[in-house]
Amino acid sequence: MKNAWHKVLFSFALVLMFALAACGGNEEESEENASSGENESDSAKTIEFMHLWPEGSSKQHHEIVNSIIDEFESDHPDVTVDVEILGNEQYKEKLKVLSTSNELPDVGMTWAAGFLDPYVSGNMFAPLDDILEGPLKDKFVAGTAEAYAIDDVTYGLPLELNITPLYYNQRIFDENGVEAPETFEELKEVIQTLADNGVTPVALGNKDRWTGSMWYMYLADRIGGPEVLNNAIDRTGSFEDPALIKAAEEIQELVDMGAFINGFNGLGNDEAKGYFINEQAAMYLMATWDLPEWTTNEDNPQEFRDSVEYTKFPTVEGGEGDINSYVGGPGVGLFVAENSDVKEEAKEFVTFFVEKWGERSVTDAGVIPATVVDTEGLDLPQMYIDILNDLNEASNLTLYADVQMSAGVADVHLDSIQALFGEAITPEEFAKQQEDALAAEE
Amino acid sequence: MAQTQNTAGKDNSILTKVGMGVLYICLIIVAVFQIYPLVWLFQFSLKSNAEVFGMSPFALPQEPRWENYVRVWTDGNINLYFFNSVWITVASVLLTILLASFVTFAITRMNWKLNKLVLGLFMVGLMVPIHSAIIPLFAFFLDLNLIDHPLSIILSYTAFNLPLTIMILLGFYYTLPREIEEAAVVDGCSIHRIFFQITLPMTTPVLATTAIINMIYNWNEFIFVNTFISSDKFKTLTVGIQNFIGQYLTDWGAIGATLMISIIPILIAFLILSNRIVEGIAAGSVKG
Amino acid sequence: MNKVMSNKAVIALYVLPAFILIVALIYGPILITGYYGLMDWNGIGAMTFVGLENYTQLIQDGQFWQSAKHSFLLAFFSTLSLVPYLAISLILAGKIKGSDLLRKIYLIPMLLSSVAIAQLWVKIYDPNNGMLNSFLTMVGVENPPSWLADTNLVLYAIFVAILWQYAGFYIIIYYAALKGIPESLVEAAKIDGANPIQIAYKIKVPLISGVIKVTVVLAIVGSLKYFDLIYVMTGGGPNGASEVIASYMYKKAFDTFDFGYGSAIAFFLLLITLVVTWITRKLTASEDEIQY
Repeated sequence: MKNAWHKVLFSFALVLMFALAACGGNEEESEENASSGENESDSAKTIEFMHLWPEGSSKQHHEIVNSIIDEFESDHPDVTVDVEILGNEQYKEKLKVLSTSNELPDVGMTWAAGFLDPYVSGNMFAPLDDILEGPLKDKFVAGTAEAYAIDDVTYGLPLELNITPLYYNQRIFDENGVEAPETFEELKEVIQTLADNGVTPVALGNKDRWTGSMWYMYLADRIGGPEVLNNAIDRTGSFEDPALIKAAEEIQELVDMGAFINGFNGLGNDEAKGYFINEQAAMYLMATWDLPEWTTNEDNPQEFRDSVEYTKFPTVEGGEGDINSYVGGPGVGLFVAENSDVKEEAKEFVTFFVEKWGERSVTDAGVIPATVVDTEGLDLPQMYIDILNDLNEASNLTLYADVQMSAGVADVHLDSIQALFGEAITPEEFAKQQEDALAAEE
Repeated sequence: MAQTQNTAGKDNSILTKVGMGVLYICLIIVAVFQIYPLVWLFQFSLKSNAEVFGMSPFALPQEPRWENYVRVWTDGNINLYFFNSVWITVASVLLTILLASFVTFAITRMNWKLNKLVLGLFMVGLMVPIHSAIIPLFAFFLDLNLIDHPLSIILSYTAFNLPLTIMILLGFYYTLPREIEEAAVVDGCSIHRIFFQITLPMTTPVLATTAIINMIYNWNEFIFVNTFISSDKFKTLTVGIQNFIGQYLTDWGAIGATLMISIIPILIAFLILSNRIVEGIAAGSVKG
Repeated sequence: MNKVMSNKAVIALYVLPAFILIVALIYGPILITGYYGLMDWNGIGAMTFVGLENYTQLIQDGQFWQSAKHSFLLAFFSTLSLVPYLAISLILAGKIKGSDLLRKIYLIPMLLSSVAIAQLWVKIYDPNNGMLNSFLTMVGVENPPSWLADTNLVLYAIFVAILWQYAGFYIIIYYAALKGIPESLVEAAKIDGANPIQIAYKIKVPLISGVIKVTVVLAIVGSLKYFDLIYVMTGGGPNGASEVIASYMYKKAFDTFDFGYGSAIAFFLLLITLVVTWITRKLTASEDEIQY
């Protein structure tokens, strides 16, 4: 009796396990064949494509992507594109996990420079120079595709281009009798007046750290010229350059003046933006990816959107930088996996994608593409036209420092920024920390 | 002695009433604090980003955005994820509780030499943070061809919740009287019958407790699904939230709506299971 | 009797399925992580064996020890917080009117996912529009602190949120344990004239001491590897003021691509947890020596 029980239970458990394993295996196998194209009969090829524009948060992006895929698939009846979509942070995390097992999707999204570097040195991304020399020659705004190059080989095709203007609220400025500043001295006066009147001058969400980095980078550029920071990072110069220390001093002076919103080091960028949108802060330094918020986003009150203006970051008297130099750079770009089984098709797909995206992204999604845009005849809000014209006149574009740097140094940089704003370190210590980190990596 | 006790008791009755009054006021204040998050979440789910940020969190939504809920259903694939969440949670919870009960029974009731060692090994499992295991786990499931298969998450949920479940069960098994089981052995009951017909029913309250805890963990779990699953057809509700996290813009109202929708089934399950904590004992004592 | 209860086949049948699962899915991975910890590896390219170099670096890493200190503080406060949770459970499990409803309400926050809890507490602590500072301003406090931006306060501000998050978890365990106490024992004590506090302290608490010890271990282990709210609410900042071991490990492994070092931290965390748990068990061991 006892033994019978045994056998029943045990064999039941065994059967259950095998059943689960078997059905698991089968289903997966068939999928695996379909999706990775291991099937050598290759009548149908599948490109796995991972992107980070979910329907919920980025509806227009999402729809453009879908229609590009539809178009591509109808042009290439033997190819299907299999899409996986993740949120921003999870995208980065998953890409990392996938790469540890060499399982990257055939096509995916990457960021420039520092993000790209480990993937390239790990031989994960395919060189795309043949596309840049061929079908997409001269299509990109100068300097954008180069941000995805390591040792003169390009591994990513940029989709976005952003610069960072200083947005301000005209209504608040009028009420306090101040005007858009053109020099840093004027900016300080504006800040002083606003602070004296009990108005928060600047919304800043420095919990995210890269937000404060933008302020620092601009000051470094305006004081020491566009090359100082770049040189410190590429090691032809030093982070302990007087201009870089001076920029850090200016940051702390702004903090002392009460320029930034109360508790900025604990606020996220979303929260800081909320203060600006609710007209509780007069200025906000952010990249052009936020343009839809000030122009087309119906969620934000019309009166607010009418009040938002922008200005170029002011120049510092006696400084080297000029007003047409920007902090900014390309955002996400497309990569093709080196070990992809459908590399040729994947390359065709990214080429097609970049072209179509360039045609539609500004008008349909408000994204400034990295490919050259002809504003003639485009129906765009005035602010877009102005920004696109500014871009044409840009004298320099400095890539965001945390993107330029390798991940490890970027983390030191960002932590130092937060400490600098929090006045936990002196400008000299700020410079030294980063110099040490950069030197250690040489 | 008895007398002093009595007079003290009478004095107490007035004091007790005042004391009870104070106690109730405290309890109700705590209750308000505990239920407020749900109210807050509901308000949150009806707001736009501009209202979520920069305005007082107490503020009622100016014009409730019910369309957040509509958007969640249409754009968020929630209907698809919902079913996955339910069955994956149920399967994992049942598997975990059954396996954990087996182990706890064997360790506390049966006689074998290695029981302490094995128990220790289960306990160490409690100490491993998920993030430090995720990359080797991914490689492991890849080898087994279980990536993008629901079994990978069910097995992970079970394995990672087993140590905790066993620990909680253990505390209870020790306090449970052994007499009933011993009597059953004397009566010639098979061990499986003892386990299924005596021990399991006796432990209903703690089973309900661990079921609640497991259910909540699995329902809200995020990292495993995100890493192991790539097809929409196997994703769960927590991943649905990601549909509203953009590269530069996150739709917090819609996230609130997703969270609100996802809390309803678990709230119902919780209320039902929560009653079992009390009922189980009643049933057990009848049997006893 | 002994024969039935020491049947090897049955023991194997009951223990092995769970055992195989945790060996394959927990022990396997953590040992591999231990192996990665001996490597210089960015998670993508080739690995280089560096022996114990990651660990020697770890021993000298001030940031690591600062986050370790924070993790231990959290473990300390989590353990301390068990006392009020136990008190609440004793009240709820007592025969007072409405205890059933109250218990259900008390456990509601536990159902919320970390995403929701983090958002809620960020709203509570917002320096300008937040609930807490609105209240403080209302009662006349000038310049209330900006909680999550203040390096002296941020850690404790987050602790409050974490302890609140876990209240339901411990209350439900205690509650179930208290409901398992035979009514007859409590009745007998009442007849002897014991008041409710005496009954709670002298009878109920000792009877569930096994469960209490389990929760102490759970609180300590859970705190040492805690990650969720900290990562979402502050990312460990500002200036590392709220960094804990697990968030530091995540940062190293996933954000800065120093996978070998991150793995070393993970493995070291496991060792720390093991030692602390062992000490805890020694300290809480009593004469009736319940083995868990």
